[in-house]
Amino acid sequence: MDALIQLIFFLTLLTLGYVFGKIAEKKHYRSIIEREKQWMQIPTTSGRHVLSTDREVKGVKLATGSVVISVDYFKRILAGLRNFFGGNVRSYETLVDRARREAVLRMKESCPKADQIINLRLETSSISKGNKNQIGSVEVLAYGTAVYLYPSSTATHL
Amino acid sequence: MHPSPEYRPGLPEQNDNVSHNHPLKEFVILLSGVTAFLLLAAWSLGLLVDWAAGFISPEMEAVIFSSMQVSGATVFVQQKDDPRRVALQRLVDELGRCNEVGYPLRVNMAKSKIANAFAFPGGRIVILEGLLETIDSENGLAFVLAHEMAHFKHRDHLRGMGRGLVFTAFSALLTGAGSDITQLIAPALGIGQARYSQDREALADKLALETLNFFYGHVGGATEFFEAMQEETGEQGRGIGGYFASHPEAVQRINALRRLAAASGFAVRKTAPLPKALVTPADAPSR
Repeated sequence: MDALIQLIFFLTLLTLGYVFGKIAEKKHYRSIIEREKQWMQIPTTSGRHVLSTDREVKGVKLATGSVVISVDYFKRILAGLRNFFGGNVRSYETLVDRARREAVLRMKESCPKADQIINLRLETSSISKGNKNQIGSVEVLAYGTAVYLYPSSTATHL
Repeated sequence: MHPSPEYRPGLPEQNDNVSHNHPLKEFVILLSGVTAFLLLAAWSLGLLVDWAAGFISPEMEAVIFSSMQVSGATVFVQQKDDPRRVALQRLVDELGRCNEVGYPLRVNMAKSKIANAFAFPGGRIVILEGLLETIDSENGLAFVLAHEMAHFKHRDHLRGMGRGLVFTAFSALLTGAGSDITQLIAPALGIGQARYSQDREALADKLALETLNFFYGHVGGATEFFEAMQEETGEQGRGIGGYFASHPEAVQRINALRRLAAASGFAVRKTAPLPKALVTPADAPSR
């Protein structure tokens, strides 16, 4: 009887995790795709030099964006099952993908007037690492150099 | 508009960083793999436990579990001259000649309103006082005692205990105690163990029925205890909970015993009343 209660408890958590995790993920992806289109116009590269331009650099700023995303119960169990057999932990792929893209978007949103962002770097850390029975979540920090340019002078432009 | 001719804004057509297959499909595949592995492991570990239990002689068992008596000693010692205990012991000794348990068995009573009896490692049968109130005939009592004695003969207490130990150690080893996957494994092993336990109970019922027939020449009173249990729990079944229970349902046990008695040609005759020493005030009105 004890085992039955445990099983019902487990299945309830699993279903809740799956349903709410799915809803949250869909919603998040919709927002990411929409905002990526919106911010596409700011060139963002991992290169160390300003993309070639005829305009002079007015100034630079450090731009950062970070996000913490938690894994749902279903994904955690799926990853746990995967631990037995090895292989790609597919259930965590969307988690880190969303975190990376959201962090970059937040970084861009922190400097909406920048002309370029160069030297983009991404850092990942897992929160509550090594602690069992704690919420497993991933943090992604995106940082780069926001470059501001002078308006192009009509004189030099042909 | 574009600050640089090197830059062409655009988004990738599809996301290559995530897998696009359905997570539920992966879950089902992985879960069935783990379940198959667990069933195989539980089955083979169970066989190992049965094999190992055969090496533990009753004498060795008494030595191993002698430390277990400490906790209950104060309760049991006072009963040494209790006429009820003496009467129960006599009945067990007489039944012991019929089913060749091969154990030195001792009977003790414990204060409880619940009607039940237990077989403890080390050859100790514990009767809860509630049982004496529930049962009205010597035959009914003899069946319950013979059932517990059958557990000793089958070494079910060692098998059950061994399985409990091995499975707990196994699931902890596999997943780390208290991890998420243990929550999944525990019920799975629980069902397996409940199934096994129910099988053992049915076997003990069978031997108890044979003992009863051998002792009294008929099997009257065999189902008395289960009938009383059924009255208590009511008509409704246990539903899905039955798969997790350690004992079969009372109604199933009654039916199984009746079928078995009919198939073996055991007669059902009038039952004998309880020995005077065991009659409790609660029995009196029904006499």
